[in-house]
Amino acid sequence: MESAIQQSCFECVLRPDRLFCDLPSDALEAFDLIKSLTLYPRGTILMREGQPARGVFVLCQGRAKLSVCSETGKRLTLRIAGPGEVLGLSASLSSSPYEVTAETLDNAQVAVVKRKDLLHFLRDHREACLQVVHLLSQDLHTAYDRVRSIGLGRSRRSRAPHLH
Amino acid sequence: MRVDRIFCDLPTSALQSFENIKYATAYPKGAVLFVEGQAPRGIFVLCKGRVKLSICATDGKTLILKIAEPGEVLGLSATVSGKPYELTAETIDPCQVNFVKREDFLRFLKDQPDACFKVAEQLSDKYNNACHEVRSLGLSHSAGEKLAKLLLEWSSKNGEAAKQEPRLKMALTHEEIAQMIGTSRETVTRLFADLKKRQIVQSKGSTLVIRNKAALKLIASNN
Repeated sequence: MESAIQQSCFECVLRPDRLFCDLPSDALEAFDLIKSLTLYPRGTILMREGQPARGVFVLCQGRAKLSVCSETGKRLTLRIAGPGEVLGLSASLSSSPYEVTAETLDNAQVAVVKRKDLLHFLRDHREACLQVVHLLSQDLHTAYDRVRSIGLGRSRRSRAPHLH
Repeated sequence: MRVDRIFCDLPTSALQSFENIKYATAYPKGAVLFVEGQAPRGIFVLCKGRVKLSICATDGKTLILKIAEPGEVLGLSATVSGKPYELTAETIDPCQVNFVKREDFLRFLKDQPDACFKVAEQLSDKYNNACHEVRSLGLSHSAGEKLAKLLLEWSSKNGEAAKQEPRLKMALTHEEIAQMIGTSRETVTRLFADLKKRQIVQSKGSTLVIRNKAALKLIASNN
């Protein structure tokens, strides 16, 4: 880890550029109270596909590989998540098991928020709830793109010229 | 029916403002609600009937992602993000649909935190489904395995899951089932013939009875 762990979201200079983190002061203050900041070494499994959702992982620094696995153990990488992304969001909201496995690719700084605390936070802070709706929409677009490339052998990028 | 549906079970105030922005419309079977690649006009709340959601390749190859049931909100992620619709939605029954314009819907979400939460829940469900689809398309070994998984999934609905010989209503043609698992119509017909010959499934009119659930599970787990 290059820098010391940053305790408060208010001190983070990258905050305005990150969709989830760019929250009003009162929401940020509340978020600071429910998060627990942790440093994870490279190769740590943050969440495992099929496990009950315990909460979300906000990647402050570092990257994580998201993958799915078949019953026979065959693994498929979905994408690489970067700093600012929130992992485990959909499973935490729908109280279903994690859909994917997330493994850190670098030494990572992660803000962990328990499921129950997240749900309270989102109910109390409508701006945060709106950000989450935007984040989930983005996640869904990426997932559909992956379905498209696996199922039909193309991606949105290759389809773009046909739109005009 | 409102209480059983994720999006529709809203508090009175939210429901009242939803009433003001929605356009209730009836569509016949085979109507296209929106097309993949189109700029998002708004959301479609499915009140009655079912809708086929698919993606299409330029060579005409189609992949059916899901059959949407009443209570689902269609066109949600595109409407929220402003990106083109990801899928094509076509009615497979006569449908009753509530349409809400994009700008009205975004304002509604800002003003109604409860609705915003419900939308997050719906998006989570859809993400779950998309991951399931990626897993099935990318990690299943054969068309037989995918068909077995699909039949088991369908048989787990409508209170049939616990039955020893679950029954399911076959609403789709072999062509459409082929489009759901990314194979040809001929392969689906051949696979069904094989399952029937091995007495794993049995057809009774438009109903399919799963006679040997254990054998079907074995095929689904690639053994």
